[in-house]
Amino acid sequence: MTTDLDNSSAVNESTVSGEASISSPGNQTAAPPEKPVKRKRNLAGMPDPDAEVIALSPTTLMATNRFVCEICNKGFQRDQNLQLHRRGHNLPWKLKQRTSKEIRKRVYVCPEPSCVHHDPSRALGDLTGIKKHFCRKHGEKKWKCDQCSKKYAVQSDWKAHLKICGTREYKCDCGTLFSRRDSFITHRAFCDALAVETAKSQPEDEDPKPQSVESTPQSTSTASPPTPPPPPPPTATPTPPVTSSVLCIAKSPDLPEISTSNQDSRPVLDNSPPIVVAAVSGSCSGSCTSTNTGSTNSSVFASLFASSTASKILHPQTQPQPQTIGFKDLIRSMNQSTTQTPDLTLPSSSQEPISLCLSTNQGSSIFRTAGPELRQYAPPPQPTMSATALLQKAAQMGASASGASLLRGYGLDGGRLDDSDVGGGGGGGGGGATIGLGLGVGYDGRSGLEELMMGTPSVYGPKHATLDFLGLGMAAGGGTTNGLSALMTSIGGSLDVTRAVSSFGRGGGGGGEFTGKDMGKQ
Amino acid sequence: MERTHISPYTNHQTTSKEQSIHTYTDSGGGETCPDEDKWASRLLRQCAQAISEKDSAKINHLLWMLNELSSPYGDCDQKLAYYFLQALFCKATESGQRCYKTLVSVADKSHCFDSARKLILKFQEVSPWTTFGHVASNGAILEAFDGETKLHIIDISNTLCTQWPTLLEALATRSDETPSLKLTVVVTASLVSSVMKEITQRMEKFARLMGVPFEIKVINGSNIPLGDLTKEELGVKEDEAVAVNCIGALKRVEVEERGDVIRLFSSLKPRVVTIVEEEADFTSSRSDFMKCFEDCLRYYTLYFEMLEDSFTPTSNERLMLERECSRSIIRVLSCDDKQNIGSGDCERREKGNQWCERLKEVFSIVGFSDDVVDDVKALLRRYRTGWSLVNDQTNPNTDSGIYLAWKDESVVWASAWKP
Repeated sequence: MTTDLDNSSAVNESTVSGEASISSPGNQTAAPPEKPVKRKRNLAGMPDPDAEVIALSPTTLMATNRFVCEICNKGFQRDQNLQLHRRGHNLPWKLKQRTSKEIRKRVYVCPEPSCVHHDPSRALGDLTGIKKHFCRKHGEKKWKCDQCSKKYAVQSDWKAHLKICGTREYKCDCGTLFSRRDSFITHRAFCDALAVETAKSQPEDEDPKPQSVESTPQSTSTASPPTPPPPPPPTATPTPPVTSSVLCIAKSPDLPEISTSNQDSRPVLDNSPPIVVAAVSGSCSGSCTSTNTGSTNSSVFASLFASSTASKILHPQTQPQPQTIGFKDLIRSMNQSTTQTPDLTLPSSSQEPISLCLSTNQGSSIFRTAGPELRQYAPPPQPTMSATALLQKAAQMGASASGASLLRGYGLDGGRLDDSDVGGGGGGGGGGATIGLGLGVGYDGRSGLEELMMGTPSVYGPKHATLDFLGLGMAAGGGTTNGLSALMTSIGGSLDVTRAVSSFGRGGGGGGEFTGKDMGKQ
Repeated sequence: MERTHISPYTNHQTTSKEQSIHTYTDSGGGETCPDEDKWASRLLRQCAQAISEKDSAKINHLLWMLNELSSPYGDCDQKLAYYFLQALFCKATESGQRCYKTLVSVADKSHCFDSARKLILKFQEVSPWTTFGHVASNGAILEAFDGETKLHIIDISNTLCTQWPTLLEALATRSDETPSLKLTVVVTASLVSSVMKEITQRMEKFARLMGVPFEIKVINGSNIPLGDLTKEELGVKEDEAVAVNCIGALKRVEVEERGDVIRLFSSLKPRVVTIVEEEADFTSSRSDFMKCFEDCLRYYTLYFEMLEDSFTPTSNERLMLERECSRSIIRVLSCDDKQNIGSGDCERREKGNQWCERLKEVFSIVGFSDDVVDDVKALLRRYRTGWSLVNDQTNPNTDSGIYLAWKDESVVWASAWKP
């Protein structure tokens, strides 16, 4: 638990955003209630207001083992622990009795003034947690792996790394395996999986009516914020949406808006021209179907794009229609057993195809092209989330391909998508047109997927979002023909969107938690 | 083609037979008798000698023989013989300039982003030849930029930005606030400039992915002397922490202009200047053909052997790298420097200690920290055996950068400098 502290806040935040985004789609206005489970995690870094806030100096914090056993010289940080230890030597020992009145709960703040956890409102709940946090984020990385020269500030992190160093492989979406992290990183930057095809994007730029689907972050799954992310400081003015690169959810005026209200309120983080985020999983093999964009409210969609090896639940019978495309709402939970996704599958989903009109063909779509506003979503600033960790995580997932990917739950069967109808899916294979996943963007098939993947640059403002991207992409590398177990609900059909949404939120949250843990270990 | 220009030697058949037999014996026993030169080196050396002595009969004879024995698809000796023969023939016939231009335009025609990317990534995968300099330079740059928030790297290298993804990743995981990075890439090789558009797009995308605020600008420096660039053209701002990164860039500058370029670097007030060059000296011996030939042969023999050990025999990437060498060899051995002023592709390499002399006039050397050295060592462990990290053997007491050694021969030199 303590190890997770660093990331917990991130996790929480993403969760929130995920939920927020969920609530907005369709006619739903109410955000799904947070799950209790998530709540618990959310508490990390959001301490009980009544707790006593302890601010230790760095020296005190790092001072280890002030209480030393005279027999074996083992040191302890707390007298109680020493007393318990002395018991083992058959020495006299004495534990302080608790006073009759219950001790106030203590929370600890990080001594580093610039750190988010320096603020008492973000204090962490236990001493070990704050210590590790302080070491990791503000301490010297003095533990170095001889093999790969990766450095760690916390010895236990380093030890954990030693056990696995060199044992895993990094896999790119294009199928190439790497045993070395640096070559993997370089490859990622140059691989077509991360690239936008310029030829395609350019024509798109000129397309007056860009329809883009904003894929949201899977980041939900990797980092889900518990609390509504504070609006990022407006740093830039939104650039006019470039159609080609930005995948926005297009909203048609008469259709329910998908974008959440939050979006509008958010300042635009990114002023850079929209670039396709999709980068991660890309056009390389042409088989990659997954896409993830940074965290945006519309995370729901993002999940749709992620291909996973999970169960294919697409219903063939659903016919892609310009306006209504059948989605199946299956939010298949993430395969992580630990994640709580009880209601992932909507009953209705498997029974009958629900048509969710996600597709956008020229204005008809539910989603209008989200201009600048959509892009605004920048993930909340987050304490440095380790890019490496995410890269590695992603790689790990890639390596273990079939089962374990975070995305698993939300697969998109790219191969099946009809190119013309579903721009987004088109990249995958474009073969059979049987299943319409409405997510597609209006333009011509093949490029569509890539477009999706590209996402808006703004989407990635924050590190974690972008990283997630990468992670997703990698996970996506898995298969072309993965089941699409996306969560699709029909908007018009008034199906239980909420449910789907909420389940998604959970799924996302779960993923975030998982990631967080994993990172914590590292 | 060579033979058509050369009058057949009267007894060439006999000679060639003897030579062939001798050759086979040699190449067969080459590994067991390391003292004995490889046949290619011996013949090439004789041929070069004949050229410098203007002994046309001997030249013809040796060229003819080399032509019989060499092949671009054979073993190391045959390849060396093939590419050096080409250069020697050009030297003998004074057709180096024409031949070089032809080879460059051929390379240009087949050059595209995909092939360039594949080539460089594959090379980096199998050999630390370029990654050595990248890791050392990145380590020095990151340390020099510690705590800075506005970073500007002037990158004068022709390695297609393959150095930067790992640096971006390192910046993204820096424990303090993620800095912004401006990358100004000065392209000095015309071949590279054609693919820079693709590269910049990828870098931008990757930087976004990493969450590093990023700006990249490409300056085509292939038709202007590097030393003529100005601070303004390079976009250097006062509040930026600047690093200058030169990988194999100084050798492309005309020998006479090298001082100017180094002074330009100094005028940018960089936090650090990283210089990586291959360890060969084709400069001090410019006017001594034989001496220059010797070092050229030594260097490329090492390089070809390295390629042979690193790649599979049929690797297309290897062939491309060898062809790149063939252009350089012709450039060094058979082209007149004066005809190529300003072409941006000077091949007058210098060794680490020679560069040190030049750089010391303006800069002082910064030793690589233990961490960086460890990183480099960790890098080398991931490649096949044969690679090592050595310090300058000639001046053990003074810091003069680090060397990548291939089978105990220094091949690449890396160093970091500050004003």
